Amino acid sequence: MSELLRTEGLRKCFGDLAAVDGVNLNLEADVLTSIIGPNGAGKTTLINLLTGNISPDSGKVFFKGVDITKMPTDKRVKRGICRSFQIMNIFPRLTVFKNVQLPVLSVLNKSLKPFSRLDDHRDAVAEVERILKEVGLWEKKDLLAGELSHGDQRLLEISMAIAAKPELCFLDEPSSGMNPVERVKVLELIKSLSTEREVTFTIVEHDMDVVFSLSERIIVMNRGKIIADGEPAQIRENKEVRDVYLGEEL
Amino acid sequence: MLEVLVFQGLVGISSAMYLWLIAAGLTIVFGLLGILNFAHGSLFMLGAYFAFTFYGLLGMNFWLAIALSLLGVGIVGLVMERFFLRYIYHLDLPYQLLLTFGFILILDDAVKMTWGGVFMIPRMPVFFEGAIPIFGRSFPVYYLFIIGAGVVVAIGLWLLLEKTWWGRTIRASASDREMASAIGINIPVLFMMVFAFCAMLAALGGALGTPVRVAAPGIGMAMIIQAFIITVIGGLGNLKGAFVGALIVGMLSAYGTLLFPFFELFFIYVVMAVVLLVRPQGLFGR
Amino acid sequence: MKRRYFPPRLKYKHIPTILLALLIVLLLLIPQFAGKYVTYMTMHILLFSLFALSFNLLLGYTGLLSFGQASFYAVGAYACAKILLVVPSLLLGVIGGVLFAGIIAVILGFLCVRHTAIYFAMLTLCFGMMIFSIAMKWRAFTGGDDGLVGIPRAPLEIPGIFSLDMSPMENYYYFVLIVSLIAIFIFYRIVNSPLGLTLQGIRDSESRIAFAGISVRNYRLIGFIIAGLYAGLAGAMLPPLENTVTPPIAHWSHSAQAVLASLLGGIHTFAGPIVGALLFYVIKDIIVRFTEYWLIFLGIIVLVLVLGLRGGVVSVFQDRLFPWLRLRFGEGGANERITKD
Repeated sequence: MSELLRTEGLRKCFGDLAAVDGVNLNLEADVLTSIIGPNGAGKTTLINLLTGNISPDSGKVFFKGVDITKMPTDKRVKRGICRSFQIMNIFPRLTVFKNVQLPVLSVLNKSLKPFSRLDDHRDAVAEVERILKEVGLWEKKDLLAGELSHGDQRLLEISMAIAAKPELCFLDEPSSGMNPVERVKVLELIKSLSTEREVTFTIVEHDMDVVFSLSERIIVMNRGKIIADGEPAQIRENKEVRDVYLGEEL
Repeated sequence: MLEVLVFQGLVGISSAMYLWLIAAGLTIVFGLLGILNFAHGSLFMLGAYFAFTFYGLLGMNFWLAIALSLLGVGIVGLVMERFFLRYIYHLDLPYQLLLTFGFILILDDAVKMTWGGVFMIPRMPVFFEGAIPIFGRSFPVYYLFIIGAGVVVAIGLWLLLEKTWWGRTIRASASDREMASAIGINIPVLFMMVFAFCAMLAALGGALGTPVRVAAPGIGMAMIIQAFIITVIGGLGNLKGAFVGALIVGMLSAYGTLLFPFFELFFIYVVMAVVLLVRPQGLFGR
Repeated sequence: MKRRYFPPRLKYKHIPTILLALLIVLLLLIPQFAGKYVTYMTMHILLFSLFALSFNLLLGYTGLLSFGQASFYAVGAYACAKILLVVPSLLLGVIGGVLFAGIIAVILGFLCVRHTAIYFAMLTLCFGMMIFSIAMKWRAFTGGDDGLVGIPRAPLEIPGIFSLDMSPMENYYYFVLIVSLIAIFIFYRIVNSPLGLTLQGIRDSESRIAFAGISVRNYRLIGFIIAGLYAGLAGAMLPPLENTVTPPIAHWSHSAQAVLASLLGGIHTFAGPIVGALLFYVIKDIIVRFTEYWLIFLGIIVLVLVLGLRGGVVSVFQDRLFPWLRLRFGEGGANERITKD
């Protein structure tokens, strides 16, 4: 198993609060990992640090052996890291098709072309078609992204995340705000994308059903630190984890 | 040499007070209502024109003229907020700047229509005539009055915001509009009153200029840019910053005219650009 | 089932092209039939269109409100004027004007694009006024508030190959028209290209587009430079038309006119700024015949637009007229069902 991401002593404070407090983490390729923990555990801050949204107070982040601690987001994306957002972050005034076309063109390094017609780039168009069909949004390709239903916007989010052809993709609460039908759809999608494309997903989630049905590895955080890390069965039995969740059904 | 510098500094502080009056209103409106009112300079101009009319043309008592001019502009402010600004709070910045720019166009031309394009000549009230010798030069008594008035307004506003119920209400509404509404503060009325009050502050700046400054179409436009600069330097929404910013700009202007007679305006823009580039939240902003 | 092949039926998708062709023919014929005043006005409208497009590339497409586009207009104008006063070659003057505007755009852009929204707007306002005060005060170079005068309408020439006299207004009109049409066409290609899409992505969501691997700052700078070049082009074609250049073209109120025109026409469409530029001049022209106080009317129009019609004039067409036309003429192309005859 090759190591994709490694952190050493990652630390981030907001005022007096250590949101992420000395985290040593490593993520391996092809292992679908979930990061769980109560509210305020530092999960989203961790993702923000790993993807470059914010910079750490101390510590390092390595991706495939390269130190990316100081690297801005767009460069990390070019190296193979991507994410979806918990709060919907799509391009509302663009069509579904164009939403996906953007990252696809970027990966093909064609974003800067000022005179060519968008659709002349046949390779990009074909890739967008492939992604949208995989995700199930092809019929809606000409709708404005801002007009989609919540569930469809989430699917769009995910499709944009994988359009950037990442090796490691963080999904921040991919099933939040969804009804059961939509949730199943998203899960199926993550499962199939995981096997068909060479993407390793790391999911931050609250929904235990999602976590235990998808994950091959679970990392538990509390108060900025990792308190448990292992296979789902192990985590279920872990006393400290049960305490943290105060008797919640795991 | 020192005398010249100190004297010029006093002149700067005096002119800073007019700027302070506009900037105070501008920054409060931004802090509470979230709107950058491009037309604030036009309210200043209206205050000047009203005061000129009541005092200069109709010969009323100086203080009465000022009071009436404040009243007049206050009403204009009420109308502006109630029928226009209220509907754009949720819109993006470009639309806000545009709407208030529309008001500049309307007010500027309305002034030209009513009073003509002629300059209004200053007229000094008898009891303010004269000058005090400072460092061997004559410093007009009126300038001292202006400095006093500006400081009084500053202290008054500070007391208002810190010590009174009104002030607490305003500060609460500024930091969390929904919460304030939930505990029973009538936000629409509050906003209307505050905007009218800030309009009156600007008008006061214009009215107080009657004895020494010319009133002409376009003075509003010149003032608003400087007011913007001040609020940026001080920090948008920060009253203390507005006062300090006004002092800085006023003094820079005064020294600029002394030391770089051709480029004082340029100089001020450079300062604003530097502040924006280095510390955009201003000296006192968060 | 029979399909008619000849004559071909008029389809909806053909209409824009036909209208555009008619418009271009109309523009070409103006000097022949419409008289000097209309010709003069049309040139100004064309220049103003380029200026408004420059502004809207930043606002409508990239989400950046610039209150300082007049600075690039002014740099283009003054640079062209200075060149023409020394070397009477129209080509050199215009190209020089555009180039200098571009250089200033690179410098100012580098400083401005790292900031957003309100601070970006204020910075551009600030730099704009700095350039204005330079234009006003640096008598030796810019002529101060009198400006530069006696600028020749130099011939369009490539030495040794051809030389076209530009002094008849008609000739200069065709120059301005052709340059503007080419520039507008290039603008159209840019905003419909991957670059244009990227800028729109920046407008819609800065954070998301970083995750598409785009450096927001770099692309904003590119947009800023292109906008500066277009404003500079508009400005550079002014001196030969008016024979003078004065500081007001650098004032923020001139920038505001570009803002107004774009809003009037609709900031979220391609043609909006152009339509707005036309309307701005038409409205001004009409109102001024009745009263010198036309700014009040402009102000009222602004209020009406912001409060009621934020999509601008073009949106009225798009939301009402075009769907009706679609219905009337049919889609055309692949969407058309084969009908029975």
